[in-house]
Amino acid sequence: MLNALEYQLIDPVEFLQPNRRLFIDTNVFMDTDARRAGGLKRLFERGQSAIIANGNPVVVPTKVVGELTKQSRIHPSGETMERAEAIKKAGATLTFLESASKAGLVRKDLGDDTNPYADDLFLKLFERFAGTYEMCLLTHDITIKLRIRLLAHRLAKRLLVGVLTKDGDLEVESDESLFERGFRKYKRHATCIAEGSGSFKDESEVAVLKPLLDDFGKAFGLKEPATNLGPRAVKSPSSPEPRRSAVASTPTNSFSAQARLKPSDTPVAFSALPKQGDHVTWASADRSGSLVLGALLGEGGEGTVYDADLSTVVKIFDKDHLTRHRKEKIELLVDRNLRAKGLCIPSAVVRNGNGEFVGYVMPKASGREFQRTVFNKRKFEREFPSWKKADLVDICISFLEKVQYLHSMNVILGDINPKNLMVDEKKNVFIIDADSWQLEGYPCPVGTPMFASPAMLGKTYSDVLRTMEDELFAVATMLFMIVMTGQFPYIRTGTDGDMVQLIKEGNFAFQYENRNNKDQPDGDWKYMWSHIHKPVKDLFWHTFHREGKHYKKRPTAAEWLEAFKAYKSYLGNKRMNFDPMSNDVYPIRNKAFKQDTPIRDCPTCGRQNAIAGIWIDDTQEHSLPRQCNKCRDQQPGRAAAAPTITVPCRDCSRPFPKSQLKYGRCPSCAQKHDERQARANTLDPSRLCVRCQKPFITYGNVEWHQRNGRSVPTTHRAGSGGRYPAGCVPTLPRTPRTGPTASTTKPSAQTQVGFWARLRKWFTGN
Amino acid sequence: MARLNIGADDLVDNPTPRVPVSLCLDTSSSMSGPPIQELVRGVNLFYDAIDEDDDAHDSAEINIVEFNSSTGLVHDFASIERLRRISALTASGTTAMGAGVNLALDTLENRKATYSGSGVLYYQPWLVLMTDGAPTDNIDSAVRRVVDLVEAKKLTVFPIGIGGGADMKTLARFSPNRPPLRLDGLKFKEFFEWLSRSVARVSRSTPGDTVKLDLEGLAGWAEL
Ligand SMILES: Nc1ncnc2c1ncn2[C@@H]1O[C@H](COP(=O)(O)OP(=O)(O)OP(=O)(O)O)[C@@H](O)[C@H]1O
Ligand SMILES: [Mg+2]
Ligand SMILES: [Zn+2]
Ligand SMILES: [Zn+2]
Ligand SMILES: [Zn+2]
Ligand SMILES: [Zn+2]
Repeated sequence: MLNALEYQLIDPVEFLQPNRRLFIDTNVFMDTDARRAGGLKRLFERGQSAIIANGNPVVVPTKVVGELTKQSRIHPSGETMERAEAIKKAGATLTFLESASKAGLVRKDLGDDTNPYADDLFLKLFERFAGTYEMCLLTHDITIKLRIRLLAHRLAKRLLVGVLTKDGDLEVESDESLFERGFRKYKRHATCIAEGSGSFKDESEVAVLKPLLDDFGKAFGLKEPATNLGPRAVKSPSSPEPRRSAVASTPTNSFSAQARLKPSDTPVAFSALPKQGDHVTWASADRSGSLVLGALLGEGGEGTVYDADLSTVVKIFDKDHLTRHRKEKIELLVDRNLRAKGLCIPSAVVRNGNGEFVGYVMPKASGREFQRTVFNKRKFEREFPSWKKADLVDICISFLEKVQYLHSMNVILGDINPKNLMVDEKKNVFIIDADSWQLEGYPCPVGTPMFASPAMLGKTYSDVLRTMEDELFAVATMLFMIVMTGQFPYIRTGTDGDMVQLIKEGNFAFQYENRNNKDQPDGDWKYMWSHIHKPVKDLFWHTFHREGKHYKKRPTAAEWLEAFKAYKSYLGNKRMNFDPMSNDVYPIRNKAFKQDTPIRDCPTCGRQNAIAGIWIDDTQEHSLPRQCNKCRDQQPGRAAAAPTITVPCRDCSRPFPKSQLKYGRCPSCAQKHDERQARANTLDPSRLCVRCQKPFITYGNVEWHQRNGRSVPTTHRAGSGGRYPAGCVPTLPRTPRTGPTASTTKPSAQTQVGFWARLRKWFTGN
Repeated sequence: MARLNIGADDLVDNPTPRVPVSLCLDTSSSMSGPPIQELVRGVNLFYDAIDEDDDAHDSAEINIVEFNSSTGLVHDFASIERLRRISALTASGTTAMGAGVNLALDTLENRKATYSGSGVLYYQPWLVLMTDGAPTDNIDSAVRRVVDLVEAKKLTVFPIGIGGGADMKTLARFSPNRPPLRLDGLKFKEFFEWLSRSVARVSRSTPGDTVKLDLEGLAGWAEL
């Protein structure tokens, strides 16, 4: 049995109160464990008066009764003794349930027979009624326990799962204990599969448990239990063992974790820059040679890249970017002799005919920059027409594995942007521009505003070392922009195009849970967002929204990796991923609400799965729109919507579409107005009432007096009869402190108390 | 010229930040003949070059405002995908430059408001002002607006004088940061090639970046 720390005991009577419900699963009735013998009997003994008084019988769904009936019909001969006993118990239970339901202690008419899985039934019941009742399910099934615990977490409702002790108490396990037992179950099934003896049941359990445990761990912040579980037998196919270990192993040759910023960069001298067709020499950690610069592959802001041979390229810096930092950084990287798939790490230093440093050799990347592929619909559909969402998730995973490796080496990429990442049609991801990486105190001298963390904004890239938090902001932004095919996380309506402002304000406008953000951008972006796997969505929201949990402490590459791997398995799991449109790169409607939401092709345009039912609470059924969103938007009435009429803003008189104005003000003036308004209603803490020494007048009131040429009052306003408000009690001038210093105090010191001193005085009253 | 209707989908489905470019062109009677023909050719070439550039293609949005005795919109902002090449411009009347610039600024403000209203990122707009003469209306308010915007870094302006008759002093008032440029002969082609390269350069940057314009590239066709 569990030890005391791992579970809590609850009086079952609590769940027999009118606003609560208690359910029992099949396996509890068939439990033959002697340690719990008699528990069910005790439960009913203890609960019967509450059940009758509240008219709240214990629920044993029809489905469960059906399963018990089926079990009881199995012929016990040939079964193990334990099984035979369980079968016998099933029969006895049916008799008991029959009489208990007559006595009003049990309800067995709930739940339909159409769903083949009792688990789903409980989950659906719990989800459906979570807002109405607190509920408890008695079951021994770990999987359903995990699912309901997760549901409770997601909905923030009290939904319990437990078993009975032999005294009839409800024993509810801790999250950790549940998680660990879930892993053991997973391992059992996974081992069967790995050993080649896996049944269909093993396969399906693993398929359910793997993503479930990932979600669970994520939700409760639990790490996969390492103890006595042995090596995990199954790895997701996207990360074969060798590569994973190469990436995850703690590197022994990593760079320093706390190197200080190097002194400013300076140019290095050179006589000539080689071009296409020129001979150059190269020197790696252990070899050297010469080569001819081949075809020009690309030009960047700092240099030009040429073909060298089939698998390597050469980058030659341009005249303004041949600097000491770059040279030393590249020498450090070359010395380490690092190799990792998809990382274009310098492998040799390149010199011109005069032996001067001019550039470096690196592995050749294939494909094209993100900027020219996934970040734009037109280009995306041209380059990778057959890709699905899962492919984009693979891109994220691949990017993250590389980032995780570099971070483990204490390398900060710095200038993460869609022109420094390349991808080919086989989903190979490459990170280029290694010369800009930050390592050993050499800063990353370049940056891209869209990926600059709020703390980096306004700083000169070459003058500071980026922190890991800065880096993780860029990582998060990149992941968002991959999943959202190029859309910027802080996009919203009502901006004036000032990216810096957008990042600073942290107003992440995509719809999240029951927050309604009116600034969500137009178009299909909201649909795309709605289909993202919940755990990934959670991380995005909490990272980007200024009120999010991770706004200041951003997820690490490892945390993202976990979330994206869960996203991947979720997409591959037909049962969890019930809405086929979640697989599309460009969804055109919101994600279907639940598993049983009807989904149809659009009869007008034929787009697949373009229509999803909308649940109507009143009628308790789904309503199906006649056409998809695209067809609806194309209806003549809508398309010919009146041309946007613009109206001048009352403050700045710039023209704006009417719909954007707030009380006649454009978004930016409206914000300024609100701020002014808020300030106007705030007490000016620097003006104290001369009677009571407390702040007494608002900024707005002060301004009003000044505007109208009146002198600003100095006391609380006296009402009729010259009476001051109750709190305005005159404070006596403080008696000067006695002692040797008192005589030296200047007489004016009393009146020259600083602002903070006065504020403190107001708070503390002395 | 028929106004083009810009589908809302086009606008919001493309996450690429936009560069709105307003071409504010003198079509007064003095432009008739070869100048206006070369101008039309230059504009169409500009469109082709934007179309062919992988980056500028998705970010540039261009409109044309013409001014003569009055001012009007030749076509509203549209992505290059939706822009038809212009067939001709008619040169006649006087030079209402003040009205023309004001209209161009209004259309830019409007376009920005549309971006803002639908959640589209953008770069601060560009105004290309081309004339071969001197204004016949009052340009004070237009000058003030342009100068304010340029100083607030909310507008990049390219005042271009066409031929020897262009009033460079007036153009200079529209350009607080750099002297206006005079087109060498009728080298519209070279100018618009340079302009498309510059737009492409901006579209490869991210909004907020300061983009260095390759002014050296101008030497070939303009005298400073
Ligand atoms: N390893 C590589 N394999 C193939 N092509 C490459 C490789 N490295 C760079 N390129 C090509 O060269 C171009 C410029 O490279 P890179 O980004 O390193 O230059 P840069 O001068 O640092 O540019 P910026 O500073 O603007 O990012 C890339 O956009 C890409 O097309
Ligand atoms: Mg680069
Ligand atoms: Zn670079
Ligand atoms: Zn349709
Ligand atoms: Zn305003
Ligand atoms: Zn007072």
